[in-house]
Amino acid sequence: MNKDKIDKILASVFARRFKSITEEMSIALTKTTRSPILCEAKDFVTGLYDSKGKMLEQTENLPILSFSLGPVCEYIVKYFGEEIYEGDVIFHNDVFSLGNQNNDVAVYKPIFYKNELIAWSACKGHQADIGGAVAGGYNPNATEVWQEALRIPPVKVYEKGKLRKDVWDLIFANIRFDIVAEDMKAQIGSCVVGERGILKLVEKYGKETFESHKNYLFDSTEKMMKAEIKTIPNGIYEGESTVYYDGKTPGSKYKIRVKITVENEKITFDYSETDPQTDGFVNGTYTSSASATTLTFLQMVNPDIPHNDGMVKPISIIIPEGTILNAKYPAATTFGNHLCPPNADAIIRALSEVIPERITAGWNQLLCYLTTGFDTRKRDKYVDIGFLGLKGGSGGTKGVDGYDHIGMIDASGGVLDQDYEMFEQQTPHFLILHELWQDSAGAGQFRGGLGVETMFKIGGDNTTVVTFGDGDVEPAFGLFGGKEGTLNKIEITYPDGKIYKTTTKDLVEKVPNGAILFQQAGGGGGYGDPFKRPKEKVQEEVKNGIISIEKAKEDYGIVIDPETFEIIQKETENIRGNK
Amino acid sequence: MLSTPDDPSIGVLNGLSEMAKSKGVSISEFIKEVETIVHGTTVTTNAVLTYNGAKTGLLTTKGLRDALEMRRGIREEQYNNRYTNVKPLVPRYLRVPIEERLDYKGEVVVPLKESDIQESLEKFKNENIEAMAVCFMNSFANKDHESKAKEFVKTHLPDAYLTVSSELLPSIRFYDRISTTVLNSYVGPILRGYLSSLTKKLKDIGFSGVLLIMQSNGGVISPEIATNTAAATLLSGPAGGPVAGIAYTSIQGYNDCITVDMGGTSFDAALIKDKTPLVTTEGEINRLRLALPMLGIVTIGAGGGSIGWIDEGGLLRMGPQSAGAKPGPACYDLGGEKPTATDADLILGYLDPDFFAGGKIRLNYDKAKEAIKTQIADKLNLNLVEAAAGMYQVINVNMASGVREVSVKRGYDPREFPLVVAGGAGPVHACMIALELEIPAMIIPKESSIFCAAGMLMSDLKHDFVRTYAVSFDNVESKTFKSHFQDMEENGNKLLESENIPKDRIEALYSLDMRYVKQYHEVNVVITKDEVDNVDLDSITKKFHPEHNRLYGYSLEDEGTPIELINMRLTLIGKTDKPKFIEEENKSEDASDAVKGRRNVYLPNKKDFQELDVYDGFKLKCGNKIAGPAIIEQVNTTTFVSPEYNVICDKYGSYTMYLKTKEKEILERVLK
Repeated sequence: MNKDKIDKILASVFARRFKSITEEMSIALTKTTRSPILCEAKDFVTGLYDSKGKMLEQTENLPILSFSLGPVCEYIVKYFGEEIYEGDVIFHNDVFSLGNQNNDVAVYKPIFYKNELIAWSACKGHQADIGGAVAGGYNPNATEVWQEALRIPPVKVYEKGKLRKDVWDLIFANIRFDIVAEDMKAQIGSCVVGERGILKLVEKYGKETFESHKNYLFDSTEKMMKAEIKTIPNGIYEGESTVYYDGKTPGSKYKIRVKITVENEKITFDYSETDPQTDGFVNGTYTSSASATTLTFLQMVNPDIPHNDGMVKPISIIIPEGTILNAKYPAATTFGNHLCPPNADAIIRALSEVIPERITAGWNQLLCYLTTGFDTRKRDKYVDIGFLGLKGGSGGTKGVDGYDHIGMIDASGGVLDQDYEMFEQQTPHFLILHELWQDSAGAGQFRGGLGVETMFKIGGDNTTVVTFGDGDVEPAFGLFGGKEGTLNKIEITYPDGKIYKTTTKDLVEKVPNGAILFQQAGGGGGYGDPFKRPKEKVQEEVKNGIISIEKAKEDYGIVIDPETFEIIQKETENIRGNK
Repeated sequence: MLSTPDDPSIGVLNGLSEMAKSKGVSISEFIKEVETIVHGTTVTTNAVLTYNGAKTGLLTTKGLRDALEMRRGIREEQYNNRYTNVKPLVPRYLRVPIEERLDYKGEVVVPLKESDIQESLEKFKNENIEAMAVCFMNSFANKDHESKAKEFVKTHLPDAYLTVSSELLPSIRFYDRISTTVLNSYVGPILRGYLSSLTKKLKDIGFSGVLLIMQSNGGVISPEIATNTAAATLLSGPAGGPVAGIAYTSIQGYNDCITVDMGGTSFDAALIKDKTPLVTTEGEINRLRLALPMLGIVTIGAGGGSIGWIDEGGLLRMGPQSAGAKPGPACYDLGGEKPTATDADLILGYLDPDFFAGGKIRLNYDKAKEAIKTQIADKLNLNLVEAAAGMYQVINVNMASGVREVSVKRGYDPREFPLVVAGGAGPVHACMIALELEIPAMIIPKESSIFCAAGMLMSDLKHDFVRTYAVSFDNVESKTFKSHFQDMEENGNKLLESENIPKDRIEALYSLDMRYVKQYHEVNVVITKDEVDNVDLDSITKKFHPEHNRLYGYSLEDEGTPIELINMRLTLIGKTDKPKFIEEENKSEDASDAVKGRRNVYLPNKKDFQELDVYDGFKLKCGNKIAGPAIIEQVNTTTFVSPEYNVICDKYGSYTMYLKTKEKEILERVLK
């Protein structure tokens, strides 16, 4: 085929093939990993990159991890220069060379065709442990990176197909759990799946066609994104939000401030006015913060845009070093991914007046627990992140209610609850309650998504509970007359009846067997005047027990008979008027 | 031997009397000669898609009643804030929490509170519940609580259709089990009512042969067994397609194909590689998890009855709403007033008003004209033909996207697959779908309208079994290992015996779900009868490692990582007699004997009408060639050959349409 001649059907076959290869990589990782964080919750991403490290496509179960894979790939290409060989496998997690979080460890595999580097396959997963002072990685007492994790700048664990046993042993000598080594092997396997997929494609169509069609894809995607940006009126829009409690000083607050400039086909997010970094671990890295910005903006444009290098080109993100969103070396930063929710709030507030039909009301802020300890049944250590408990509701938007039990905006429903039965196989805990939380959603013509209540009995020995998140001071905000959602809470009831309410960045050690952990993840904010919500919708939700009779009256002005669930029309009219 | 397409039971009877009439005998004489009826049905599918299933109540473990609705918190379209969750099949107020609890090993932690069940059953009685589902936490490890609940339900709600999770799907994963159990109950009464009415009607006319029901896994079973596992028929309707596609394309030497079937309301597409349709246990229907084996078929709302409309932005849209068979397209003159794809086909000359269904239904041109003119043409400021051509084009693009879904979206290039086109409305649209995707070759079976039905007749009886035997592979006990397989085989043989399958026609397929220690998902390894009989663990281990590598990019063979066995699976196949295809001899290229007339037909790329030859499909012989543009008519289907394509008849009488530029290679294949 002529190099300059583009076959448009073939271009879309390539685009879809890239996507399906990353999906196969994702399946391989789900099916082979041992940590429930990976095999149950899918806290990982997979991707393909061109020979220079430009994004070809990704499968983003957890988008906050994903938009740093490309920049790190470009970094690796430069770092090793001429010394990249067929059969190499490279590990990376270092947040001071563009990684997003210490626990999110990436594997990169260069793909060679006829002795020439043509592409990369990569994946990054949240590992059960990465060394540092606290198992599982979340150390609210950390003030610098070494208290959090083993740093892995780009390092070859295989070179020319040969395992570098000394390097491998050095890394895993610093990590607590055996399964981490196994899960890193699974990540290498996933990259091999990606490599096989790309080679099949190139063997069939040839390198020239591969290159020309790839470039065509980049260009057409960039055009699509530019057209999307063009639909937003030119102007400068500002928004802010608050981060509560840095894990050190009770009552501490930090502001995130964003200035968004839309100029024809280009959009710039400037965080120069954001507050300085903290002394603790509540700090972002550039790539985790920029990922947060990108994924929030992607929710405001056509969701069908392909995710490749062309998509991110028209978006500029300025985050000065030394701010809470881009902390200076050697700051502690493990909390950084979780600055995504307040970052999203600032962006939504900035754009709410200019594109009111494309933004949502506030989402529930993340609050998460992590348990680690000794499973006496299996005589083995374990770590488990509480995906079950953390999923609050999203904000309502024009015409559509918020999504119930979706969880943090950084995943937007891409990360799953543990299946209940798998949870009890994989941890020593015993699940008591996991249900939608009545009255948690912010009222509105389009209500917020419901939050969830979770309760389980802690089993095993020597349990440590770690919490990380926010949302116990300020609930998800409502918009255009919609009301706010509910607050987050985690409390532990000890066998002696004592109750301890955790902070949002806590480390609770020696929690005894039989203690009960209870969590409420709040609902999302409502959108529009609740009195405009159709009566029958509220009535049905009362019948289903997700809105109480009291709340129906108080927020929606609808009076319902507790026996029959019929609407008492007269009393309702008295409150609602003619609405 | 005959088959009926997917109609409600009256439609089945109507079909039978039509067939009798065409043979010039009475229906009772005709039915005496019929040995087997294989039936595919969409009653369960439609019940789920339209939320018209049974009013269902759910008993589940206290504290966990929202698992069904929460679907593990997934939002499939992460970046789409307008994407809503699916409505649960059982509303929250009918999901009743029961106090009881088993632990992860199945040991009782909280005993079953029977008064909770009794109270709930009172409530369900008052609510006029038609079906019940029971799914408790950890019941895969211990059936006792569910069995007790089952007895209560049977005593107090004897008429309710009942599904118990530990009987339907005794495997770990609560959400998969509760979702599949509820789906089964939701469609159970619908299928039960339908099959009992069908069985009775067939008996009344004197049918004494075997009735078999198509399952989603591509096999058939008896109606009694189908009734208990109603959810296994959720893909029954289109499940015959892939099998038929393989038969019609392998005669031309193909191993792969894409099959499409365009009926009245839906368009089904499937992709077949290496003569094997894709089977998955990770399927879903309408975003609801269905953990039973099913073929990977994509269904979209596009068919002859698809209604044309103008959206808020002023764009012409087709479907997914359909006028169905009643009132049907405006031109049927049965009261339908909406403009449909069939109405457009009539205006454009693809259909002959006097020869639709062989002349049995007279199409009313004026009604079609009126509907399209007032509801499409006038609103868009177009003339009648422009509007009809627009409708034709939009529905073709919709169907092409269905083909993309199974090919391009999975990374396959559709141009490398022959497109097998079926369904009454398919061949009118085939050329334009193929042009849209640049597909060089299409195969249109002569009996295109009963394509899926033909596939069903080529399907075998199929029963899937699974037993959990979770053990380290080193510690597998020969006795237990063998007895599990024996147990499953005995059960399966009994079922097949009740379906009149002799022993020598039973084939057993064995496989194991295995994994490395501490993994949470398994690799399915196919094993032989010898390996089962000899409990040859070494030989099986040697198969596991490379299979893990093939699927997931690595194996741990060299490190000696221990392996675990989790599930043992058996599929028993009862081989049925297949209809024999008659292979015709190659005749001359000259097809002029089959020309039956000429009429004006719209050519989309020319944007004008042209008078074309109309061929009688039944007179076309193997080797006959037709140069497009042309029309080929049969009783139930009309084929439009666009100017870009030619047609040649193959040995089965199928029309092969091919791009004129590809003539040499296609002719070599067809006439080989």
